[in-house]
Amino acid sequence: MIRRVLSLPTGRIAAGILSVIVLLAIFGSALAPENPLTTTSAQLAHISGSHWLGTDYLGRDTLSRLLAGSRASIVGPLQVAVIALFVGAIPGILSVYLGRAFEWATLRLIDTLISLPFLLVAVAVTALLGNGMTVALLVVGVLLAPGFYRVSRAAALSVARSQYVEAAQISGASLSWIVRRHVWSKVLPPISISLANAVGAGFVVVSSLSFLGIGVQPPAATWGGMLSSDLNYLSYQPWAPVAPAVLIVLSVWACNLLADAIRDVSGDAGRAYVSARTRQPALSQGGT
Amino acid sequence: MAVSNAAHPTAVEGGHGVTWARARHAVRSLLRNLGRTIAIFVPVFFVATFATFLLRSLSGLNPARVQLGEDATPLEINRIEASYGLDRGFFAQYWSWFTGVLHGSLGKSWSNGYPITTLIRDGLTISLTVATLALILGTVGGFALGGLAAVRRTTWIDRGITSFLSVTSVIPAFVIGIILVEVVAVELKLLPSAGFVPFSQGFWPWLSHVLLPALALSLGCMSSVARQLRAGLIGAYRENYVIGAVVRGLSPRRIFFRHVLRNGIGPAVAVLGLELPALIGGSVIVETIFALAGFGQFAFTSAQSGDVPAVQGVLVISIVLVVTFNLLVNLVLGRISPAARRGV
Repeated sequence: MIRRVLSLPTGRIAAGILSVIVLLAIFGSALAPENPLTTTSAQLAHISGSHWLGTDYLGRDTLSRLLAGSRASIVGPLQVAVIALFVGAIPGILSVYLGRAFEWATLRLIDTLISLPFLLVAVAVTALLGNGMTVALLVVGVLLAPGFYRVSRAAALSVARSQYVEAAQISGASLSWIVRRHVWSKVLPPISISLANAVGAGFVVVSSLSFLGIGVQPPAATWGGMLSSDLNYLSYQPWAPVAPAVLIVLSVWACNLLADAIRDVSGDAGRAYVSARTRQPALSQGGT
Repeated sequence: MAVSNAAHPTAVEGGHGVTWARARHAVRSLLRNLGRTIAIFVPVFFVATFATFLLRSLSGLNPARVQLGEDATPLEINRIEASYGLDRGFFAQYWSWFTGVLHGSLGKSWSNGYPITTLIRDGLTISLTVATLALILGTVGGFALGGLAAVRRTTWIDRGITSFLSVTSVIPAFVIGIILVEVVAVELKLLPSAGFVPFSQGFWPWLSHVLLPALALSLGCMSSVARQLRAGLIGAYRENYVIGAVVRGLSPRRIFFRHVLRNGIGPAVAVLGLELPALIGGSVIVETIFALAGFGQFAFTSAQSGDVPAVQGVLVISIVLVVTFNLLVNLVLGRISPAARRGV
């Protein structure tokens, strides 16, 4: 599947951007030319040879802060997506097998999660529970879980009711063979599409939270946090928000592009993907 | 499930009997739709209120801490907890809070003891103004762009609109907000960058203060509506009845409004129902950028100060708003396409 995704131009663009971003997360703080927390008297300096992107209102080097903040800004969305995967997919698969009561209860919980205003809940609950990064990631992960619940439930339903699995069982195939041969290929595309989308959504939410000063606490640099301090000095440094904003937007865009590329190469299995955000399967089937 | 024929004239044209039967059918399907939404809503409401109530125990906060700070004496803590009814059992507290919610009372704020409904009201007016304007901008813009792209499909207009939408759909609302402040307010000095002026002080002062935040919120809504509409309309253009209409020589305008729009609009309307939570959620961050003392700001500041009942009130109100709006969207959807009435 990876080779087929990379054969698409969109897949190659997405993979290129994402690998640059992952490299930033790994080597960002090592690449930073100066200590991102050192304040100097050169406040709000313009772009120059010594400060490639200028300095902020405390005289800290913007480029260094951008690089040093990349790890926190990138690892957060990834963690959120993985938490969402576990919180969503496990009850999603179990809902098919554990009987009607469990199914009903989880479906109502998912309805509730979908009808909550996402960002407001994330902000309110995290702030109430003490502004910590762990709490923020858990809350956002739970809020993103419905997508995975739906996708894995749909996949589990289609496998559980399929005759080919029954036929394989009758002809004596082992469970691991069935999973490898029939289940895995059905489940993998929709799950990876949701995962790519969830990482993209995670970028938006985590950067929004750090913009508000929730999660990563202010002296440490994050892309969202840099935007919020830039906002106060727009009349001095109108170009300051460009770099962190471009990084955030590029990351989200690359994730969405990757999701689209996976959908394009995975054919029917990808088309069976139901986005958590579109709830009308009866209507959307007639479309593209 | 019965399929309504309201859209297509039956063999017997006109006549009182038919009109009466149609009206009765419409009312019955309306009630059925209402009933099903309420059947979904009641458990959602219970789960959500219970979860928000659990927040109090999870956070370990209490009003004495919020009002008196760290060095409160146990006696004072007990007095204040008793005055808020916190000395009772968990379920007794939940029940009295829940019945209060049903009667339109959200309890008293832990910070200052005022009723939360009055504290929320002013902020809610601001936020709903911005959200409604954003919804209108997003819907109008989304329908215009999506419709245009579908009518001019496979031309450069369609490609231009599609690539524009793929850009706007990935820019988070707060980045758009910053760009708008930067370009429109700071550089061009066209509109104010912060604050709110009530409608009573004139139309333009009011509009100029809410236009930028609404615009910042509306782009996400616009892109998803436009994408769904384009996909829905292009899907409808491929149907045999449209080819039939072309062959019969009907005008493109008539085909678009009578055949294509009616059948392709469903997903775009359905996605609107999911946009209100996004708009309310986005308000918390857009209000920070534009310094609006709205609902989102109230939620943020009360959460920061540990005012648990205020946060609970905010959550209850936003759930009620979202569910009401979804009900409206479902009713509209049911009118447009009978297929949507067949179970969600």
